[in-house]
Amino acid sequence: MPREEAVKKVQVSDRMFMFQPCVGNNKYPGIIAAAVHALPKLGVEPVTSDEQTCCGGFLTFTNVAQPTSTMPAVARNLCLAEEQNLDVVAFCNGCHTFLTEFSHFMNDRPPVKGVVNTILSMIGREYKGTSAIYHIVEILYKLKDRIAERVERPLTGFRLATHYGCHYLNGFKKTAIDDAFMPTVLEEILRACGGEVAEYSENRSCCGTGLTQVILHKEELSLPHTKRKLENLNDVKADAVVVQCPYCLAQLDRMSQKLNSRKAGEFHTPAIHVIQLVGLALGVEPRKLGFEAHAIPFDRFLKKFEKTPRGTGVHHQDTRARSEQQTEEVAA
Amino acid sequence: MRESPLDWLPGFDKKFADLTHRMVKDLEKCMQCGKCTAQCPAAKLSSYNPRQIIRDLKMGNVEKVISSEELWLCFFCSGCYAVCPRDINFPFAIAMLRYAALAKGYGWEEVKKIKDPYAQDYYDTGLSVSPEEANLGLRGAIAKNSGTDGRIATIRKRMGLPAKRVVSEKALAEIRFLSDATGMTDLFKEIEKKKGLAKKWNYGSPADLVKIKRGPHQKFVDIDDERETKEGRPKTGKRE
Repeated sequence: MPREEAVKKVQVSDRMFMFQPCVGNNKYPGIIAAAVHALPKLGVEPVTSDEQTCCGGFLTFTNVAQPTSTMPAVARNLCLAEEQNLDVVAFCNGCHTFLTEFSHFMNDRPPVKGVVNTILSMIGREYKGTSAIYHIVEILYKLKDRIAERVERPLTGFRLATHYGCHYLNGFKKTAIDDAFMPTVLEEILRACGGEVAEYSENRSCCGTGLTQVILHKEELSLPHTKRKLENLNDVKADAVVVQCPYCLAQLDRMSQKLNSRKAGEFHTPAIHVIQLVGLALGVEPRKLGFEAHAIPFDRFLKKFEKTPRGTGVHHQDTRARSEQQTEEVAA
Repeated sequence: MRESPLDWLPGFDKKFADLTHRMVKDLEKCMQCGKCTAQCPAAKLSSYNPRQIIRDLKMGNVEKVISSEELWLCFFCSGCYAVCPRDINFPFAIAMLRYAALAKGYGWEEVKKIKDPYAQDYYDTGLSVSPEEANLGLRGAIAKNSGTDGRIATIRKRMGLPAKRVVSEKALAEIRFLSDATGMTDLFKEIEKKKGLAKKWNYGSPADLVKIKRGPHQKFVDIDDERETKEGRPKTGKRE
């Protein structure tokens, strides 16, 4: 259930710095393309920069780089947005966590910020800490009524499962826009796109990447965990599973392919990033959304999509969580 | 045997808070409720046990924790933090304990597997994920879905994006400077060369070095469909 005070704090601007996720660029470019095509339809111009590098979060929490090294790198990336007076939108649970944690750490500790700025001054930069950092799910949730109004290809008849991932909801258990255990923002966004929710019990289970576990202990830990989640997804026969993080997307998509190739099961639920889903609903052509980079094909999904009637706006769509509706029914 | 608070390492909370730059506060407030372990994905599949690790730390068994195998099994999902009634940020504790382990010589093989290629890619290209796909089975699946050679550059071009995400020369110079000046480059070199100590033990068994047990649900038919080559290129086929 969304935290209304946290939602109120989200400020959407008409120009925002789009923090490009590494996995987005080099594995699932559809996420980047979807943001570039879909956000303007919602009145947000995404600004990118060739000077933006990897957030550094992966390297830090896997212990190959110390926070003392990656904190200046974070500050440097945030400078790029600050220089243009823009707030930052991250498309990845990891990027968002890392940028937010380290920017708060620096902002709360002036001596640390001072040291970071001493290093940055050697490359002619200064970190002020003035840009807010948002997750794309926060922006899309804040704009969900606008999405509903501007939908051109409602996903009528599509049953969509959700996967929030871990770092955004768990890592920010008190400040995220939704509750870590019973979140509903992705459900509300997909209803705003015209879809229906396909519930499944392993919904809040980690994707299984496990940061390093998919590299270090893939057979013992990562793959069995993901397999369990995918088996539960199979039970619900969703048209797709909607995620908000490229690492989760890669894990659910690629591990499905790996298990299929080992004849360890039949896992064909395609995974889609929420920005790709919103792009589809707002009328961005499917061929621009990069589905061909996904390992589990979207053929069946797109064939069904071709047949769904076009329409303008998702009207009279109750996007509230079902539990809220039920409370109302009981009270009535 | 009932333990008494006198068994706990005095001043542990302050020492640990400093070690973690105050990112992990309240570790001493752990009441051993076990909610963390109950929901932990790693705990379901191995002997990893966050509650037990905190207990050991409070007892003063720091060396035991940092020389263990389990320290390297955490998924970093923060589910433990989410359920903890005391708001203990345990994943950050794990990250800091891993640094402590490295300082003592444990875990260098693990970080070596991360350093190549991810950290090296960051230094070379500005992105920690490479566009190359070494897993040929996966590339084949993508090739089939897209009707292309399965390379991400081809797909990007077809979508109207530039073939490669370019990070500017200025940016590369800046991050390399930051990496060199803050010791990141030196750490990469050390990771390459260093031969660490073998981990001393495993909570799952009194005997040391028992590998993580495979349960029945972990046995798949191991068909090797990956056909990876050393260079990550197909055995036949043209170069780009």
